[in-house]
Amino acid sequence: MRRLFLLLILSVVLVACSSIECPIENTVAVNYSVMKYQNGEEVADTLNDTLWVWSRRADGDDTLLYNRGVNVRSFSLPASYQGPQDTLIFLTVDTLQNYDVDTVWISKEDIPHFESVDCAVRYFHKITDVRSTHEAIDTIIINNSSVTYDSSVKHLYIHFKK
Amino acid sequence: MTRRSSICTFISRSKLWLVTLIVFHLSLLSASAQGFLKLQQDSIPFFRGFAVSADLVGLAQMQLGDYGQYEAALRLNLHDQYFPIVELGVGKANHVDDEVTHITYKTSAPYFRVGVDVNIAKNKHSNNRIYVGVRYAYTSYKVDVNRSPFEDPVWKNTTYYDVSDVACSQHWAEVLFGIDAQLVGPLHLGWSVRYRNRLSNDDGIIGKTWYVPGYGIQDTSNLGATFNVSIDI
Repeated sequence: MRRLFLLLILSVVLVACSSIECPIENTVAVNYSVMKYQNGEEVADTLNDTLWVWSRRADGDDTLLYNRGVNVRSFSLPASYQGPQDTLIFLTVDTLQNYDVDTVWISKEDIPHFESVDCAVRYFHKITDVRSTHEAIDTIIINNSSVTYDSSVKHLYIHFKK
Repeated sequence: MTRRSSICTFISRSKLWLVTLIVFHLSLLSASAQGFLKLQQDSIPFFRGFAVSADLVGLAQMQLGDYGQYEAALRLNLHDQYFPIVELGVGKANHVDDEVTHITYKTSAPYFRVGVDVNIAKNKHSNNRIYVGVRYAYTSYKVDVNRSPFEDPVWKNTTYYDVSDVACSQHWAEVLFGIDAQLVGPLHLGWSVRYRNRLSNDDGIIGKTWYVPGYGIQDTSNLGATFNVSIDI
């Protein structure tokens, strides 16, 4: 009987155990890779110019998303939680202080994501379209449209003119 | 993803630990268990009646917290040794405006479990029983998840998070160990500890769900418990 009582106590203690398991990797961002064509193949490249990226907030102010990237091979930018299209301003400056400004429009669908009541809500996204001006940017290609917690996925391949 | 692999590793380790614990539980009782699955030969009739029971743990959870279940069961008594059982319940969660995340989560749905308990006590025909059992369970449910409007940290626009009637379902299995003791006359009290394992699940379009009717909170302990009041019929 004492053995059973101990068993009951042990079991109740174990049943009472719980834990909060929110994802450790909980950033949802669009990952860009700088690419170029070489012998007909798309290969990784390095941007020789310095890169800044801004966006326009709802209150009308600009917000800096990426600051002074040098020898950029890849970078990540946040996506708005809700909104059919994000508008981004890309500034590239070369060593002679010549600069180019491009506008990039990213169209997307927003997908509510839920883990637990203990974890903050997030939005995943599906990129539906990308277009840009072509001052310094040559093309932007959608490699993987699904934007989630997975930081290893390269969503957009960006080709610069120089 | 790195996160997935680390969590899977954690879960598999904890499951291994829990299975080891259950085996340890059963081994403690091996001395008193005799003829585990063999039908005892005696003059007692094969069919011994029914018992109906209600779970008080789910009821207490429902009254004291923001989720729980109302559950009743019908159990056949076959020779005081085998107890085929059907458990029916309604699980509910009404977690309103979490104080940290401000998430509201609601669901309410029926569920069922079917299975069998086996009396492993040395004296099968005693009014007190020690049993082990297995269950198969299923629920189909819908969840509403919403959050009060909040500001996008980068774009500063007002963001709304409101999903309703997300259709979900889950199959799971349970292994249990329990005790049942006669209180007075046909009235019995008993408890069971259950190790639960999801067989398959569909969490709808939102990624995951939190409370699953009859199963409890996901991503926490795989252990559950019941405290039953039952009446022999």
